[in-house]
Amino acid sequence: MIVDFSYKNPKTESDLLELLSSAKGKAKLLSGGTDLLVGMRSGVYRPELLIDVKKVPGYERLVYEQGKGLTIGCAVTINDIVSSKVVHQQYPLLCACAKDLASYQVRNRATVVGNIVNASPCSDMAPALLCLDATVCIASLRGKREVPIGEFFTGVKKTVLEKDELVTSIFVPQSSASAKGVYRKLKRIQGHDLGIVGVAVVLIDDAIRIAVSSAAPTPVVTKKLDRSLSMEKMLTEVESIISPISDIRCSQEYRRFMVLEYAKRLLQEVSAC
Amino acid sequence: MLIKVTVNGIVYEREIKENRTLLRFLREDLGLTGTKEGCGAGECGACTVYFNGKTVNSFMVLAAEADGGVVETIEGEANEGLLSALQAAFEAHGAVQCGFCTAGMIMSARELIHTNPHPSKEEIQEGLEGNFCRCTGYEQIIEAILDVTGQYQEKEELIYV
Repeated sequence: MIVDFSYKNPKTESDLLELLSSAKGKAKLLSGGTDLLVGMRSGVYRPELLIDVKKVPGYERLVYEQGKGLTIGCAVTINDIVSSKVVHQQYPLLCACAKDLASYQVRNRATVVGNIVNASPCSDMAPALLCLDATVCIASLRGKREVPIGEFFTGVKKTVLEKDELVTSIFVPQSSASAKGVYRKLKRIQGHDLGIVGVAVVLIDDAIRIAVSSAAPTPVVTKKLDRSLSMEKMLTEVESIISPISDIRCSQEYRRFMVLEYAKRLLQEVSAC
Repeated sequence: MLIKVTVNGIVYEREIKENRTLLRFLREDLGLTGTKEGCGAGECGACTVYFNGKTVNSFMVLAAEADGGVVETIEGEANEGLLSALQAAFEAHGAVQCGFCTAGMIMSARELIHTNPHPSKEEIQEGLEGNFCRCTGYEQIIEAILDVTGQYQEKEELIYV
């Protein structure tokens, strides 16, 4: 059974930030709840207060502005991304990653921001957001700040977020729009499952970036690599950013092998177009 | 806290504890035990219901979040004792074995047919990826959905000797 807690669903951002700040780390933010409520049941999280973010107007906004970019509010679900025509046209890699996240019912509730804030090494949305140079927009009573997604994760389930801070949205710039990108996730079964490894490759203006999940304490991404680099050099770059471990799903060696194999296949796919 | 939820067209007002899940609220406070609790981890889909027009795992929704919302469960599927077309197809194809996954399967199948009126076998498999049948009777479930969407082709009868 879930531990006792109180529940609040503030109607404005300032009320929400006030609650979060006065809880002094004893509150958890509830969006889709697909990680949080499962974690609370198993006793991993024991918050005294749950603050539901879904009632704040504007947080459900998924907006693309021509020439600027895409803003994903913190209540935007994974299926909102999958079914959005404009995301499909402008940021196909986001859709590709979103489709592979868990099952249909979970995607109806799970949010993009939640997937990032949860900071799991096997996050499905992180590889796309890393490849597309997204920015994480953070608010607290002390003010607002923006952090590049590459600097957001600090360890397994750890981020740069302070206890009084909320991720209000994620911004994906126009410069990443229409980029050719592919994502592949290795898993035991074709249906929903956590990934053994996930690899995303994107090509933006002759520069290639390769992001990997489930092969390091955080999702990781290479620096921008020139398209003309040899396959061997690209794979050396990939190998330098990962540090896989052995666990219940597979061995370290197999993880390393499959990351490089998937990276090779995806690089071939991307440069073939 | 006091919540007001519309379930299968009926408005219920109940006093609940904050840590009540929507699943427990349906089963224990309203007595709607058609919806099942399977894994309690968002894997198996036995607790699938419609919440504000979308299928969700009701274990992973708080009853408090459902305040002011609309929920539909398996109990609302039949109309005055008459099975829905989907339920009838499940019955005709023997798509119910132990029955534990069936409520969730029907919910997900309904959502699938709503978004894609003529799903292929692969699309059905994908649409039901969040629902496990531990009797492994998937084939009959897929046949039932193909049938209700007018795509089922009768197999030649097997002759046992």
